[in-house]
Amino acid sequence: MTRINELPVTEDMNLVTAVTHTLRQEMQRDPSVRVMGYDIGPIGGVFRATEGLFDEFGPDRVIDTPLSENGLLGVAVGMAMRGERPVIEMQFLAFMYNAWGQFIYNLANLHQKTGGAMKVPLTIRATFGGGIKPLPFHSDSTEAYLMHTPGVRVVCPSTPAQAKGLLAAAIRSDDPVVFLEHTKMYRSFREPVPMADYTLPLDKCRVVQAGDDLTLIAWGNMLHYSIAAAADVAANSSASIEIIDMCSLAPLDVAPVLASVKKTGRCVIVHEARRTAGPGAEISALINEYALEWLKAPVKRVTAFDVFFPENQIEDAYLPSPGRIKAGIEAVLSYQF
Amino acid sequence: MGEKKWAEVRPSEDYFRILNPDGSVKEGAKTSVPEVSRQELLRWYEVLVETRTFEAMVLRLQRRGVLSVAASSRGEEVCGLGAAAALQVGDWLFPAYRQLSAVLYWNAPVDRIMAGLMGNTPEHIREHLPLPPELPPSVNMMPYPIFLGAYIPLAVGCALADKLNGRKHVSLAFVGEGSTSEGDFHDGLNFAGVLESPCVIIVQNNQWSISVPASRQTAAATFAQKAVAYGLPHERVDGNDIFAVYDTVKKAVDRARAGGGATLIEAVTYRILDHNSADSSAVYRTEDEAEYWKTLDPVERFEKYLFAQGVLDQATKTAIEERAEKRLREEIDRGRAVPPTSPDDMFLHHLQGEAGWSVKHQRDELAFELAGGNPFLDMTGEGVQ
Repeated sequence: MTRINELPVTEDMNLVTAVTHTLRQEMQRDPSVRVMGYDIGPIGGVFRATEGLFDEFGPDRVIDTPLSENGLLGVAVGMAMRGERPVIEMQFLAFMYNAWGQFIYNLANLHQKTGGAMKVPLTIRATFGGGIKPLPFHSDSTEAYLMHTPGVRVVCPSTPAQAKGLLAAAIRSDDPVVFLEHTKMYRSFREPVPMADYTLPLDKCRVVQAGDDLTLIAWGNMLHYSIAAAADVAANSSASIEIIDMCSLAPLDVAPVLASVKKTGRCVIVHEARRTAGPGAEISALINEYALEWLKAPVKRVTAFDVFFPENQIEDAYLPSPGRIKAGIEAVLSYQF
Repeated sequence: MGEKKWAEVRPSEDYFRILNPDGSVKEGAKTSVPEVSRQELLRWYEVLVETRTFEAMVLRLQRRGVLSVAASSRGEEVCGLGAAAALQVGDWLFPAYRQLSAVLYWNAPVDRIMAGLMGNTPEHIREHLPLPPELPPSVNMMPYPIFLGAYIPLAVGCALADKLNGRKHVSLAFVGEGSTSEGDFHDGLNFAGVLESPCVIIVQNNQWSISVPASRQTAAATFAQKAVAYGLPHERVDGNDIFAVYDTVKKAVDRARAGGGATLIEAVTYRILDHNSADSSAVYRTEDEAEYWKTLDPVERFEKYLFAQGVLDQATKTAIEERAEKRLREEIDRGRAVPPTSPDDMFLHHLQGEAGWSVKHQRDELAFELAGGNPFLDMTGEGVQ
């Protein structure tokens, strides 16, 4: 596995510039990589993730398409099954509901339906998540819909350097991969990103911080809120918290979660997705099924509520905050059988 | 069962036709009979005979409980065949539901088709029915889709991949007229127009999508005219006339290959039988219209033409029928002889490489259950022992 911090020559990047850098590097490396979507050509994406690529690679490599997520995905699958490596931009994850048919019927199913004879090496870059206060259906975290579908990988980076390794791996993978980019994180911070090309495993979660008393699981922007909440708890107690970045959502990297909970006996799962049948429900169920006798407290989920993503003025109350995550951690730590 | 049935609206016969229903060549047809060799004409006839024979055999097997469901393309066979015959080796064929003749023309292995109808997985079929090493070069055939219209964007992208790489292949996809109501159909045509994809989309308009007549699919006068909105050329042909279908598709395929982009073709035909063996069309339509369409039978029409031209005689016809019967019986027997698929096959080929912890665990659970164990006794995640 690549140790990112051992690679020399870095440049400070935020999430969006890391994505652009990786797309450029992969397009230079492999002529079958084509970026497709609407608003990805001369404008360079509404978040500027494809900025400069149209000028550098031209309209056959950076393909501005008609505005239909379903058409975009279906056409791209048709290209991918012929050996192209399309990287399509879903401007917002919530816009992809239009592409539900192509997502299931062709993207996810083609490899299985052909008994492995056909492959779909396609990457969907989809922005998601709350915090930037845009319009309705621009902030949904509906990764559970994706995770419920066999035949698709789903990954979610939480740092620029991780984004580069996962996006490069997604593009080079022969499986369809959904790569989730959190809009709130696009420009929230920078970190040194190695300029050399590298990949990170698509099916491994990441232990961000080791600990003995509680396992805290999060991904995307919620990972940063969780780290802050854990630091806050630790500042006022002797609790030692293990933090797992569940960057690999499908297939879910279960073994490290079970190992961690068997060590700590406590678990809090944090996500922006709605609670009922959300990713946390699956993680909690797995812990219940396979680590019950190690548990010292109920597993708690600090999540968004089972409502539509609300209006701007009240969305802060909908999204888990560091304060709410801290309360969840404290409740579980205080539980006595 | 309700009392009311749909009133049928007979489609306009204002379409391209070369062969009259009696097998004669239409006077004043804008194109004469296309140049097709005698050998090729006989090949077409043989494929039509094979299609009818195979579908009749499959229907009988369904009635005996060997298959759960069977469908027929009877009365529509030349749509698939005429279109497929216009393709070249290396092209791509996306069938819909009633194009058996298209895949038989390109030598699809019937034993594998049979094993597929029996409900085996592709992996299992490949293992037990290896392809003969001396297969003639063919087109690339996609598996039957089941879903409606979702292959259209795929065919557009498939053709686009060829175009972007300078390969001179064409993709050809079928839909029924019912599927033109799906968003995928419109997405596909729109992208095909804008991206100038070298593909041909054929609407095999057989007037019925299960129980809903074509008049409930669109208020437009024809299905062909839907191409206008996407800036694409379009044609409407007599779908029971093999020469009209072949000639029209050939021109569209040639244009696509030459860089002229996509074409939409409506082939007007009729589903004279039930939707499939699970359907009963008597519930929703009268038999009058089906009786009328039986007089337009595409195979008999072509056969009459071949007899009149001296291409076919009774002895040749009998020989073709006997050869088809014998070959198909052998193929079906081979397909039926495949042992049942192992349940474990359901876990194959969802992802490349590692399937992930949960799928691995579930796969072990099923194996343990099938071996007589209780798969729910794992309380640690380390697996059932």
